[in-house]
Amino acid sequence: MRRVLIGTITFLLGSIAASMTHSQELGPVNGNAEAGAQLYYDHGCHGCHGYSGYGRQDLNNTGSPWLMNVEVFRAFLRSRANEAPILPSTSMPNYPQNSLSDEMVSDIYAYIRSVPDNRPETEDIPTLRKILEAAAQREFKK
Amino acid sequence: MNNKNTKDPDQPLPKADRRKFLKGAATTAAALAISPTAKSQDPSAYNASYTAPSYQQMQRDAGMVTPPEPDARMVVRPGSDLMVQALKEMGIEFVSSNPGSSFEGIQESIANYGDPPNHMPEFITALHEESSVDMANGYAKSEGRPMVAMLHGTLGIQHASMSIFQAYHTGTPMLLLVGRDVGFIQAHTADDMAAMCRSFTKWDAQPTSLEECIDSLHEAYRQAVTPPTGPVMVVIDIELQKEEARDFQLPRFRPAVIEGIDTATARNIAQRLLNANNPRLETGPFRTPEGVESVVQLAELVGASTSTTATAASMGFPQRHPLCGPGADTNYDFILGLEAASADITLKRPIVNSLTAERDEMSVGFGSLRENYVPNPPGAEPTPMEDDQQANQGALLTIDAQASIPIIISELTRLITPVQQRVINERRARHASANREAFLTALAETVEEKKRGWDLSPVSTARLYAELWPLIMNEDWCLASPSNFSGGHHRQLWEHNKHYSFLGTQGAGGMGYGLGASVGAALAARSRGRFVVNVQCDGDLNYAPGALWTAAHHELPMLAVMHNNRAWHQEYMFVQYLAGVRGRGTERGHIGCVLRDPFIDYSKMAESYGVASEGPIEDPNLLAAALSRGVESVKDGKPYLIDVITQPR
Repeated sequence: MRRVLIGTITFLLGSIAASMTHSQELGPVNGNAEAGAQLYYDHGCHGCHGYSGYGRQDLNNTGSPWLMNVEVFRAFLRSRANEAPILPSTSMPNYPQNSLSDEMVSDIYAYIRSVPDNRPETEDIPTLRKILEAAAQREFKK
Repeated sequence: MNNKNTKDPDQPLPKADRRKFLKGAATTAAALAISPTAKSQDPSAYNASYTAPSYQQMQRDAGMVTPPEPDARMVVRPGSDLMVQALKEMGIEFVSSNPGSSFEGIQESIANYGDPPNHMPEFITALHEESSVDMANGYAKSEGRPMVAMLHGTLGIQHASMSIFQAYHTGTPMLLLVGRDVGFIQAHTADDMAAMCRSFTKWDAQPTSLEECIDSLHEAYRQAVTPPTGPVMVVIDIELQKEEARDFQLPRFRPAVIEGIDTATARNIAQRLLNANNPRLETGPFRTPEGVESVVQLAELVGASTSTTATAASMGFPQRHPLCGPGADTNYDFILGLEAASADITLKRPIVNSLTAERDEMSVGFGSLRENYVPNPPGAEPTPMEDDQQANQGALLTIDAQASIPIIISELTRLITPVQQRVINERRARHASANREAFLTALAETVEEKKRGWDLSPVSTARLYAELWPLIMNEDWCLASPSNFSGGHHRQLWEHNKHYSFLGTQGAGGMGYGLGASVGAALAARSRGRFVVNVQCDGDLNYAPGALWTAAHHELPMLAVMHNNRAWHQEYMFVQYLAGVRGRGTERGHIGCVLRDPFIDYSKMAESYGVASEGPIEDPNLLAAALSRGVESVKDGKPYLIDVITQPR
């Protein structure tokens, strides 16, 4: 019964989150980003998402609906795939209350939101410019 | 699997009988009569139980026994000289090994026999048998032909078993020579030595005479290179290595004859290629570089767009060849799979899932040839492409594609008409233009993606690969390390145009492969004017770092760039996930998965092995200059290691 209930709730939550678009405004940030950075590291978020939100699974500026506001983010962490699959399912661990308090979740959320999109313009990166130019000029030789 | 042994494994000889049998053989009897070692052995050792080595055995193993004086009947033409001569005639360049008393005869022959000695094959000193076999793996993937890894008895096989297992998974041809010394430490020997890894070697033999040994070496080579290719093992008794060969004439080595399809089938395929409005070649890895040359010739002849495995494994199709890519029209009306089991345009090598007979069938053959395809008459509307599932239901001809391509080319050349030739020329030009556009568009998109986290410290894995590429793009290079744990960014950023551009993954996903395989590829590279790039995972390096010394000792051109994320991050994520599942929190997911407290200094580690090095580098802006120094070093023939602290993945 519990699984069914959680499943229903999380499915609805997932549907709501999935319906969000990038154009929607992000929610407010109330947590402590500095404390969140330490929690982000201690709880191993960096394994997949890099030390600063860029990694195998980028967090920053991806427009992920799970990061739209802290409430959705918290719900996402609480009810991960093993307990009640949210669509789409991921291999994210779940984070129950006894692992991450609401305050800690808010701090991690604040840290994620604080990380800037530091992508320079391509023309300002000589390495990438050279890669593109060389590929355009190159002809295949046997 | 077709394990073919020179003796029936179901009926092993009892120890006493086997000994009598060995002594009964004429040649072996001669060896026992004249071999100083054989005379010095305590006969009671044969009857000892399989327990701890005796005092005498340990004394000998520790070098505490003075060898007996050679007598007038000293061996002048030892059997091991003939074994080494056989290796020469088979074209074996290298024997990688960690020294062992059970093959001291062969080792001495490599060192002293021939002119010049220690050449073809050259003895490559390894610090661990796992490294020896990984070297053979990297070399064979790079060159498409086997080298030898030599192992000491039961111990050497067990040290090497993980690497053999991985080589079996990738179908890498290699010769494993195992020394066997029945009269020495009994824990180092076994009646049926190859049994412990028979389930993951293709073929093995334990010859009982010199003649049989030479035959076994020849057959081992043929078995290794004949599809399905794989590691093979020959167990060689020390007596055979040391015995007097007298006037024994070395038989001529007869190379393997690898057959392709018959002419009628080739003609049928050629006709279908010519009748198609938009033919497609799906290519997988080929056995040797010649396979790549053949498929290029075939693609050009029929003007077919072509897939490649060059970004995922060795021996594919050149990535920037004008015909490589989706082509001008992806509505293909005839797809010919050449070592590829899929008609999908995804560049993916056939997957080996298990140690079953089916896996070999998946590794070879024509995967996408549709049996019931009826070609349209010339001028008709093209047949819509079936979906992937239907395409995969085509006929599977389990036969070597590389040997078949020249037969198809021969038929094509005979059948092609001037009108068809004109159509093909036009199609070729359209494909070339479309493929170039597709490549550059994909690259521009990739660059936008890869520059995320460009200025971060620790260094992003994408930047590591990106900074490397401009420094090597105009050089002759080989990426020998797997890239599945370091992001695989070269697949989108680099251009893989040689059969050795990328040597693929570990095989069975096992750690410890990257360094050894890179050293093996560097063996091949050393005399061929190219160098090896090894994006080296820190976890992987720590299994057998001694291969760094091999690179220094043999002056191998290998640039090792550390992907040092100070953890086994894949496992970290697994533990973390399970902790979450169990509701116990994730703070301790790192336990057992991280390499910190203390950090390992890989620059110092490399230096201690004699490899020039620098790092750790955490500032991404210092990376390009360091890589440039590394490239200059390997172009000068010297290995170089750069420790780069990276983002986890």
